[in-house]
Amino acid sequence: MNKQRTQLAKKDLGADKMVVIEGTHSASYGAMLARAEVIAAYPITPQTGVVEKLSEMCASGELRAKFIKVESEHSAMACCIGASAAGARSFTATSAQGLALMHELLHWAANGRHPVVMANINRAMAPPWTIWADQTDSLSQRDTGWIQFYCESNQEILDTVIQSFKIGEKVLLPCMINMDAFFLSHTSEPVALPQQEALDEWLPPFNPALKLDINEPHTFGGLTRPDAYMELRYKIQEAMDRAYDLIKKVDKEYFELFGRSYGGLVEAYNCEDAEIALVTSGTAVGTARIVVDDFRKRGIPVGLIKVRVIRPFPYKEIRDLLSPMTKVAIVDRNISFGCGGIFSQEIRASLFNYTSKPIIFNFVAGLGGRDITPTVLGDIINYVLTRNTPESDIIWFGLKK
Amino acid sequence: MVKMTLKSLDEIPLMAVSYESMEWNKTGSWRHVRPIYIERIAACRKGCPAGEPIPDYFALAKEGKYLEAWQLITQENPLPGICGRVCYHPCEKNCNRKEFDEPIAIHYMERFIADQIFNEKVSFHFIEGKKKQEVAVIGSGPAGLSCAYQLARRGYKVTIYEAFSELGGMLRIGIPHYRLPREVLDKEIDRILSLGIEVKVNTRLGKDIQLADLDRYDAIFIAIGAYKSRRMKIEGEDVKGVMPGLEFLKETNSGKDIFVGQKVAVIGGGNTAIDAARTSLRKNAEVTVFYRRSRVEMPAVAEEVEAAEHEGVKFEFLVLPVRVITEQGKVKGMELIRMQLGEPDSSGRRAPVPIPDSNFTVDTDSVFTALGEEPELDFMEKDVLEWGRLKVDENQITLKKKLFAAGDCATNPLGTVVDAIATGKKAAFAIHRSFGYKAPQIDFSNVVTYDNLNTVYFARKPRIVQIELPVEERTKHFKEVNKGIADQKAIDEIMRCFSCGLCTYCDNCYIFCPDAAVKKNKGTKGYAIDYDHCKGCGICVTECPRSTVTIIKEIESENE
Repeated sequence: MNKQRTQLAKKDLGADKMVVIEGTHSASYGAMLARAEVIAAYPITPQTGVVEKLSEMCASGELRAKFIKVESEHSAMACCIGASAAGARSFTATSAQGLALMHELLHWAANGRHPVVMANINRAMAPPWTIWADQTDSLSQRDTGWIQFYCESNQEILDTVIQSFKIGEKVLLPCMINMDAFFLSHTSEPVALPQQEALDEWLPPFNPALKLDINEPHTFGGLTRPDAYMELRYKIQEAMDRAYDLIKKVDKEYFELFGRSYGGLVEAYNCEDAEIALVTSGTAVGTARIVVDDFRKRGIPVGLIKVRVIRPFPYKEIRDLLSPMTKVAIVDRNISFGCGGIFSQEIRASLFNYTSKPIIFNFVAGLGGRDITPTVLGDIINYVLTRNTPESDIIWFGLKK
Repeated sequence: MVKMTLKSLDEIPLMAVSYESMEWNKTGSWRHVRPIYIERIAACRKGCPAGEPIPDYFALAKEGKYLEAWQLITQENPLPGICGRVCYHPCEKNCNRKEFDEPIAIHYMERFIADQIFNEKVSFHFIEGKKKQEVAVIGSGPAGLSCAYQLARRGYKVTIYEAFSELGGMLRIGIPHYRLPREVLDKEIDRILSLGIEVKVNTRLGKDIQLADLDRYDAIFIAIGAYKSRRMKIEGEDVKGVMPGLEFLKETNSGKDIFVGQKVAVIGGGNTAIDAARTSLRKNAEVTVFYRRSRVEMPAVAEEVEAAEHEGVKFEFLVLPVRVITEQGKVKGMELIRMQLGEPDSSGRRAPVPIPDSNFTVDTDSVFTALGEEPELDFMEKDVLEWGRLKVDENQITLKKKLFAAGDCATNPLGTVVDAIATGKKAAFAIHRSFGYKAPQIDFSNVVTYDNLNTVYFARKPRIVQIELPVEERTKHFKEVNKGIADQKAIDEIMRCFSCGLCTYCDNCYIFCPDAAVKKNKGTKGYAIDYDHCKGCGICVTECPRSTVTIIKEIESENE
């Protein structure tokens, strides 16, 4: 655990139960502690652990939820939407191809304002068949209207699942919690489980104003003419805007209650007086902390920025943090073919209208589970240090020559 | 319907939600196909020559309504206690579950139901009023009993003429006690007779009475069976110790102690051969069955052959007797020749051909021949016969006016108890129709096939096993070998039944309907479809495990 967070986590409630669990189970515990009422999921590697653990919890009575076995991810999401529409707190989990199969219903969940929470294990898209880490699966669902988190540790997964119910149910938007395949999903770490009683008080049961009710029947999502459709879309953007502040507020409240904070949308690490920033997300952040510490020790002013949320996109934080920098290295474990790394696109776009802006270096690395080691990140920083501008729009780092 | 114009952003809700119930929106008008509940015929029922409504009586038995189940079976077959023991159960060969794991033990279930009410004072009911017509039923085997029963309960005055001193025909003459206890036979015959059927025993047609004597009847049904055993046509066939197997069975079944000696040879491969062999075994003999074809061509019921083998009967296949070896006018042995299978014959089976110089001899104290039986119809005009049997059409109508025939003496004999029951019933219906009445007809055009089922809703489970007497105990006496099944096992087996074509109220259609258009019928079982809102998506049809919901085209005339 890094210095900054250890410092923040000084408020010790002494009631957390420590467990050593893998990332998939972290998501399961998160859903359990948040008292999810309906779980519908279809197994897919490397997500299966999430569902297995939840089914065990349901079977043992530890979690009083309706567990619906389905025949596909499309049905899993459909079940969650139906349950959410009926006023039940709903949770599911998937990965890669499974997420892609859900695509239609991802729009439905968001546009219907159903605050479903989903853990997605970032796995590279096939073909060729692969099961290893890559963010292209969730980033290609960027425009479906889901709030999207990218987690660095198992503890963050658990806490973000819980926070997502609070955030999503408040603004009526679904939330996706992403974790890197295997680096988190199948790696065990110590995780603190918040005290249930305190959590229950903070996260009351889901009780939407409008829900499916056989005694007072309404149709949801019926045919809407051009005279109202646009306004409905505007309200989603408005909800995203509210989520922007809410994520930060929830992070703060959570810190006060349970002693852990993740900086809201963005976390700046060692950025004071930095001239160069390394920007990344997911598990690469953990490695980057060590690398940045090492450069700092050698007196090189390098800072680290962790992008935790991509929707709503943290324009303000990114602008404030990056405009004083001279050069920024963005490490993308994803690719939008014909354009580049997806975080890079977003960050470039957010800076475009401003005169004071750094030179952006877009590195694409670690696709399909290839390791992003301290050496890789050190080489990336050295690349930036030794050049005024990038040699190409996309720098494929670690590519075999 | 509320019609509103949304003017400002504030008026517009977060999501599109109707102001009130949308029931007024008759989405059923979008439909071009409609689901309907239609009970379909289960494949097992089609397989049963008697047409027993198997899933239907299972459903009653599941609720412990054994009497009602028995009443349902006996609509089609008045002898479930007998058939539940001796039938070759073609229903099970047709059972859709055989594609899934193992067929349902329908045979045991039929017996189970009959056993449950064996000691109950139950009787058959008349289903139609008294009629003036009188019918003579000649022969009281399964065909005669079935026909007499179906006619008597429809109000006819029926008289049974029986050549022997007791009723039952081949059931009594040919089937050994260890397969069919006499109390079961007597009970089921008595129940039929209690419908007011008159009985004349020791009255053989062609001997004690003539066809002309029966002219006063409005219809005559002939079901005299086939009792004349075919001969081997070899040297020494008529010496002491050589006897038709059927004769041996008849004598033994009536309580006589026929001497069989130490070694018994049975010639033939049909059910009579197996019965003669197993009966001899119970008289402490060493028994060998000699059959001229191979095992697969044996016409006997496979389970009986297996049981015989378990009990210690030996089999010699592809052998043909050529001579009975005698000593002092008594059988001493047999000379046989080995055979090989040649080209298929008229029955489709490969014809056995002798292998030259392969003769061999065996020692034996008795020889029982079971080469098939033929009816004795010398009293009939030749022009109503074909191949020595009474020529009948598919409704059991002979070429002679008001004369009907079925069972083994007619041209469509399949030689089993249930086929006799089935054809006897058919004849009764033909007689009934001949007087201008309507008879039931099962429509077999809509049989549920395995492909029609949604088997994801079924779990694999082994078939029940019937309790049997241990082999070492069986051969000591003539007590019944099969002991039936216990109550709980019967329920377990019913639960295995797919109930093809018959709704079990599993709620699948009700749960899966996306438009909530499947409604439960208030107070009664079953479902109704709300056609005002059913869009005809067909999910209920797909999700019905047993194919009781069918999709049909909307009636086109409605649009005109």
